[in-house]
Amino acid sequence: MLTQLPAGDWTLEAAAHLLNRAAFGGSPEEIQRLHSMGHAAAVRRLLNAGEDEDLFPAPEIEPMKVQGPRNDSMTPEELAERRKIMNAQARERTLEARLWWIQRMASKSYPAREKCVLFWHGHWATSIQKVNDPFFVLQQNQTLRAHAFGLFAPFAKEMSKDPAMIRYLDLNSSKVGHPNENFAREFMELFTLGEGHYSEEDIQEAARAFTGYRINPKTGGFFFSRKNHDAGAKKIFGKSGAFDGDATVDLIISQPECAEFLSAKIWNFYVGEKPASPMNQVLASEYRASGLKTGDFLERIFLSREFYSPKYRRRQIKSPVQWLIQTCKNLERPMPDPKTVHNSLDQLGQVLFAPPNVKGWDGGRAWISSSSLLLRYNLAGTLVRGGSDAAPDMEKILPEGTPPPQACELLAWRLFQAPMNPTLREKTLHLLEKNGNSQAGRRDIVHLLMSTPEFQLT
Amino acid sequence: MKHALHTRREFLRTSLLGGAISWTIPAFLERTFFTLDAMAADSAIQTATGKDGPILIVLQLAGGNDGLNTLVPFGDDAYFRARPTLAIPGGKTLRLTDHLGLHPKLVGLKSLHDEGHLAIVQGVGYPNPNRSHFRSTEIWHTASDSSVTEKYGWMGRYFDSCCKGEDPSIGVSIGSQPPQAFAAPEPRGISFSRPEQFRFDLKNASDRNAADDFFRSVNDFESGQMDGGSIGMLPGHADGEGDALDFLQRTSLDAVMSSDKVAEIIKRTRPGASYPSNRLADSLNLVARLIGGGMPTRVYYVAQGGYDTHSNQTGAHERLMAELDSSLSAFCADLKSQGNFDRVLLMSFSEFGRRVQENASGGTDHGAAAPLFVLGGKVRPGIYGAPPSLTQLHDGDIIHNIDFRSVYATVLSKWLNAPVEPVLKRSFPLLSFV
Repeated sequence: MLTQLPAGDWTLEAAAHLLNRAAFGGSPEEIQRLHSMGHAAAVRRLLNAGEDEDLFPAPEIEPMKVQGPRNDSMTPEELAERRKIMNAQARERTLEARLWWIQRMASKSYPAREKCVLFWHGHWATSIQKVNDPFFVLQQNQTLRAHAFGLFAPFAKEMSKDPAMIRYLDLNSSKVGHPNENFAREFMELFTLGEGHYSEEDIQEAARAFTGYRINPKTGGFFFSRKNHDAGAKKIFGKSGAFDGDATVDLIISQPECAEFLSAKIWNFYVGEKPASPMNQVLASEYRASGLKTGDFLERIFLSREFYSPKYRRRQIKSPVQWLIQTCKNLERPMPDPKTVHNSLDQLGQVLFAPPNVKGWDGGRAWISSSSLLLRYNLAGTLVRGGSDAAPDMEKILPEGTPPPQACELLAWRLFQAPMNPTLREKTLHLLEKNGNSQAGRRDIVHLLMSTPEFQLT
Repeated sequence: MKHALHTRREFLRTSLLGGAISWTIPAFLERTFFTLDAMAADSAIQTATGKDGPILIVLQLAGGNDGLNTLVPFGDDAYFRARPTLAIPGGKTLRLTDHLGLHPKLVGLKSLHDEGHLAIVQGVGYPNPNRSHFRSTEIWHTASDSSVTEKYGWMGRYFDSCCKGEDPSIGVSIGSQPPQAFAAPEPRGISFSRPEQFRFDLKNASDRNAADDFFRSVNDFESGQMDGGSIGMLPGHADGEGDALDFLQRTSLDAVMSSDKVAEIIKRTRPGASYPSNRLADSLNLVARLIGGGMPTRVYYVAQGGYDTHSNQTGAHERLMAELDSSLSAFCADLKSQGNFDRVLLMSFSEFGRRVQENASGGTDHGAAAPLFVLGGKVRPGIYGAPPSLTQLHDGDIIHNIDFRSVYATVLSKWLNAPVEPVLKRSFPLLSFV
């Protein structure tokens, strides 16, 4: 089992590591506040922070189908026009939903839940590109949020009935006699067990159990079509019975590989490295011991000595979403305007509600190319200099007259939550001595420190 | 930075070859490092200036180009039956054979054909065609079977299997994002639509010179920072291959060097032909300057959008064909004046052709197989592939006679001199257009 972090190791650096990984980082003041709570209380605070739902009501988006019912007497021109309007609406609403979520991630004081929702979004990857209706992706996002820290079994059942998922993995055309295997296959391969832990027969039989899952066209919710469901006997993982979809989910997630697969994926997301086999066994038994309750499992991780091991600190490449939000928090500035947010994430390769495929984002090194790195460097300049009224307060970041050595410490802590390497420090000192007297000069230095390989890590 | 590459070579000679190195060399320098002894000074420069080696340009006609109105089968009555309002009469086409003519706006391509620099492969597609733009584009980019979702691109696999250790600008895509065709476990290739985007931007800095010095010194190992001494001092850094910081440092160096190179070329070169003013022409103009300026790039990727002609197709398609034709003509003239036309092979593709039967809105819906163009100084001209049937259709769509991966395999094997199987995962019959 995981071991507890000794109380003496709960340092400011440890608190920063926790805030960066469990959430989206913060200002020096926020790190200080988290640290002063003490380790256990800090973890509890992160995982149990009250929901400020009222501050962030989800945008009210209705299912697209309900908007303008198709009429059989429509001419081709009218149909084309209707399609055009609906596409434009869908684009606009998707953008709205995206910005709402980003704001939500950025604005809560301890957004550990939102970080976890981001994990599950990459796990149950579903894209607006095929789902084609912002109502469904937003509805799915709320489902992810409701179950993020909860038990995996009810979560998985809910996801099998999630309309966006039903559409994305073709469940809506799966019926008795003609089961579509897409969902059953991805459910085992990508959502629960990993490749090689099931047979083709398991997939075919499970696909029969998920037949009849439909979307209610009026409400946009789930609808079970009994006449399309295959109620016959199935044989899955060696067990026979007239399993329905829920029973099949239970059968699948009771396979021993499920806890191993999920715990490794969760660990990789938060720690930045796939666990080696012995570690994976430890994690799997922790996850099993929690009854596959993700919030409890995360609490065990965040309290563990292993999570704070020096070999994991400052080694994770920030995802574009992490980079953007953490940078704004580090600089204590608001999120940039919606267009900048959207275009940045688009060009950096992480468009929310549009993962590249059902495997989700590869993450890690795949975030970085020479083009995306230069883009990060240039975006950093935009965020430091602020645009209109959103420029960070330089007096807060680096008060005028701070002697260069102290200025180095302040900047290193704010931007890296770690000391600079000697060369970087020496260059920074030199530039501070030369240009640190002017506010514009200090802004340059902050931008330059963010335009480094080191700043891409957390 | 003009002499940066030279200085780096000196640095490599003096430091890296001389002593033990404790960190990974930037990816694209590995080859230089290991072959340095064997390399004469001038051949090293030749590699760096890219004055040899074949270049491939992939042009995507995005949206699904109407193949039937691009290469018009005017000899086939079925064409006129299916296209009562959209069909282009034989007399109006630019005739290539007794059965086939080019769209009337493709005058430049007709000249290229007549001078022997154009090949057309007809009936290109893949089994079980998918009519989604998104999915079919993905299939073309990844060269996968339509039943398989593959995340890495065919060019990415080519870079991976055949160009290890080469310059990161081995692939250049003109656009804001790298195409999926470039996707690889460790992505390579650069993408930008305007050269000034692919540049560390210090125009808002208060002291640009000081800022530039600083930036280079921490992102570029000329400064000596990356000599191994200070790396590893950052808390949490673990030694060994696969370290994230090391990877970032290499990529950052790659970015600085290739963006310097692009900027230097743009500063030094001028367009060698008069280009029309549209986005495709801008992209091709940029590509021509990068080729002329000596980028070590082997594959360029450009796109022209707007081909999704569901309604009122005639005028829109005419405009697209004219844009395509004038841009390609200027591009070829430019390459000829540079003396690089023989080094270049351009292939076009579209994610699908369009339905044979026109629709009720004066347009066409998503279809399947379609022709594609291959042009360049060394192309073996002609029309390849059997004429597709317009009466034996699959769900109203043309059935392909040539798998698009045969075209890829031909380009890989006969043009880029690369083995096919590591890239396409199996072999495909080769064509003879090169």
